[in-house]
Parts: sequence; structure tokens; C-alpha cells
Amino acid sequence: MDSGIWIAAGLTLAIYSFLYRDNPAYKFAEHLLVGISVGYLIVIAFKDTVVPKIIDPLFVHRQWLVLVPVIIGVLMFSRFVSKIAWLSRPALAIYIGFGAGAAIPANMQANILAQIRATVSPFAGIDSIGGAINAVLIAAGLICTLLYFYFSKKHEGVFGKFTRTGIYFLMIFFGATFGFTVMARISLLIGRAGFLLRDWLNIIK
Amino acid sequence: MISLRSLGNIDRKIIFAALFLSVSIPLIFDFRLPNRITKEVRAVYDFIDRLPPESAVLVSFDHDTATLPEMSPMARALLRHLFNRRLRVIGLALRAEGSSIGNGLVHAVAAEYNLQEGMDYVFLGFRPEITSAILGMGENIARVFPKDFRGVPLDEIPLMQTVKNYRQIELIISIADDDTPNYWINYANARYHEAVVPAVTAVMATTYYPFLQEKQIIGMVPGLKAAAEYEQLIGRPGDASVGMSAQSIAHLLILLLILIGNLSYLSARRRR
Repeated sequence: MDSGIWIAAGLTLAIYSFLYRDNPAYKFAEHLLVGISVGYLIVIAFKDTVVPKIIDPLFVHRQWLVLVPVIIGVLMFSRFVSKIAWLSRPALAIYIGFGAGAAIPANMQANILAQIRATVSPFAGIDSIGGAINAVLIAAGLICTLLYFYFSKKHEGVFGKFTRTGIYFLMIFFGATFGFTVMARISLLIGRAGFLLRDWLNIIK
Repeated sequence: MISLRSLGNIDRKIIFAALFLSVSIPLIFDFRLPNRITKEVRAVYDFIDRLPPESAVLVSFDHDTATLPEMSPMARALLRHLFNRRLRVIGLALRAEGSSIGNGLVHAVAAEYNLQEGMDYVFLGFRPEITSAILGMGENIARVFPKDFRGVPLDEIPLMQTVKNYRQIELIISIADDDTPNYWINYANARYHEAVVPAVTAVMATTYYPFLQEKQIIGMVPGLKAAAEYEQLIGRPGDASVGMSAQSIAHLLILLLILIGNLSYLSARRRR
């Protein structure tokens, strides 16, 4: 049998041994995972980013303009030296400026405007009782949930009834999310159980 | 006699063992339970099925190894459908660990259909800084990925000579265990009007349902259940279909435990 399967099976059991109690085998496997992940990230970042985006353009294609973003990037490291830490500010300003400039309009479009439209548009295409109920539920869910997060007015009276309904909508959302989370975690257990029973113990085909 | 109160204090090690058994027994005896195909998974299948042969589809592996048992069956099912339809696949990763996983998987599934790297599919590798990578590919893919995963310049790859940016790409599939599909929706869909499909872990499913309403995504493939549905649609039952029976039995056990826990709590409260 492949030695890799034995190593993987041993590490899987070491991680699951935490369910009994914390122990050195678990700690070893956990530290190994962290170390390998970081090592892998460094290698991939160097091979897939530093080489094609910096080393090749500079030393193979002689594209000296690449030095501009490289220098800006290197300035970020000046934060480690207190005397010249201020040098990192222009680099951070460029990074944040680009991030905000790109993200704000895109988020507004995709997450706010499109979602507002999605709340109202079902009313235009109602063709059945089910469609009408759906349209009302979506609009009511949005309005009541938003009202729940309005804290400048006490949640009482008619307003309180709306905010309470908002809590029910939130609870339904949390329930659905929790259900999906359980499903995801069980999927991971199925994957590991399948590996142990099929690849390691050969109990299943 | 075992009282309701004592059932509420079951040793957690017994619960772990019961859960492991509830998952293992269906796997050992390989019995299958019916799995209904949902609208959002069917929409993805239909969209891919309607694409003309030779269309380019971008598949981004935006996940790490921890979620492989959930991601791998859905990625395999989607790739089988794409390759079976003779669509050209451009693979890449916006999460570091996704690059080796994606590269291995694309090659393995392409080999099932005797496809040729560079002509029928290509794997570009990993790029950090998701926003710039997605926006950059909208203008020029070769500027973001000057070389593929093997180190071959993109202008020497026949497939990439006809695919320069999103204009030549019909669909983007993000196989993700985090919020990376949000970036694809925000930038590739909102700005470049690209069709986007999130194939995500079940944990992330509720995040993406709102995007279906406004058709910002074509459909979605959430979790192992959706992977099993997709395997069913392409007529190739695999790991997800086997896993779904185990999933259902484990869910029944959890429901039972929730019921016992609540009854025990109510019984204890009544006694007080």
C-alpha cells in the first residue's frame, strides 16, 4: 500500500484524537498542517507571482517600469523600522485608494441596487397566488429586518411588532444557515470516513 | 430505566461515535436514497448544455484542501459535463492551495476524455489580490497570467490565442469555500456582464441565494447535495451520490439528538 495513505490516515486519526482530549499527536498534526500551509503559500506566491510579475519582466524582458510598483510594494515593509515607517503611507494610500475605488461602485451595484430591484421586481411579474405570497414575503422580510436594525426608536407599539417580525425572519435565516453548516461539516466527515474505510482499510470498494 | 433527563447528559464521546457510525454504515453497505434535483442546479446544467461546442468556460478553484471532500465531487461533475460537451476550459485559482488542486483535477478529468492541454484546456495557476486579478482579466488575461501553470507563455498556447478577455468567455464558475464568488459577481458580472455560477460549500449557500432573484448568477451548486444532483444530471454517480445517503442518515441522527436534548430540557424545567 502507498505510504502516503498511511501517513494521511495517521494524521487524520491524530486530528480526530482531539475529540477525546487535547494530546501531543493532535498538536503535532495541527502544527504540521500550519507549517506546510504557510510553506506552500510562500512557494506558490514566489513561483506564480514574484517570478512572472517581477523577476521575468525585469531580468528577461528588461521592462524597467515594473520597478515602480515594486518600489511602492517594498515601501510597505518600512513599517518594520519605526524611523522610516512613514514611508509606508503613500503605498498604503495607493492600495486603499484602488481598493475603495474599485469596490464601492461594484458593491453598490451588485449588493445594494440589484438587491433593491430584486425586492420590488417580483410584484411586477405576479402570475399566481404562490408568486404573490413570495413577493410579499421577500418585501416584508427586507423591511422588517431593516427596521429591527434601526435603534434610534424604541422597539414598542406598532413599530415593535414590525421589529419583532424582523427577528422571526432573522431566526429563519439563522436556522437555514445552521442547517447548511451542519450539512457542510457532515460532508467533511463523510470525506474522511470514506478515505479511512476505502483507501486505508479497504473495507469499501 | 433511562430517564429523559439522563438522556440529555449523554457523554459527547458517545455522540461522536454514533455520528461516525451513522456516516460509515451507509458508506459500507452502499445504499442510495432518492435525491431531488433543485431548480438552481438544473439551471446551471441547462445553461452549460445550451452553450455551443468550443465555447470557453473559466473555472476558478477558489478553495483550499480543508474542504476538498465537499468541493472535489462538484468540481469533478462540472468538469465532466464541460469536457463531455467539448467546451474549452480555462482553469485558474484565486486561492493559493486551489492551484495544485485545480491543476490535478483538470488534468485528471481531461484525461478521461483524451483531451489535449493547450488545445482543449489550460491551467493558468494562482494569482493573489482577487480584485485586481478579476478586473485585469476583463481587459487582458495575458497581462494577469503571462504564463500558464507549466510556465508556457500564454501567446504560445493555441487555446489562449483566441481567448483574450471575458468577451470570449461564456461562463465563469467559481468553485469556492469562501466569499470569492462575491468578487466574481461584483466585478465580472456587474462590470463585464459575465455569466457567473458559484459552486460553493453548503455553509456559503445562504450567502448566494439572494443573487438568484436578480439573475446575477445563472444558478448555483451548493454543497454535497447539489454535487450529487449534478452527478445525477450528467449520469455519472460518484462520491457525492454515495455520500448523500450517509449525509441523510447523519441528519436523522442529529434531528433525533436535537429532539432528545429539547425533551430533556423541558423535562428538567418542569421538575424545577
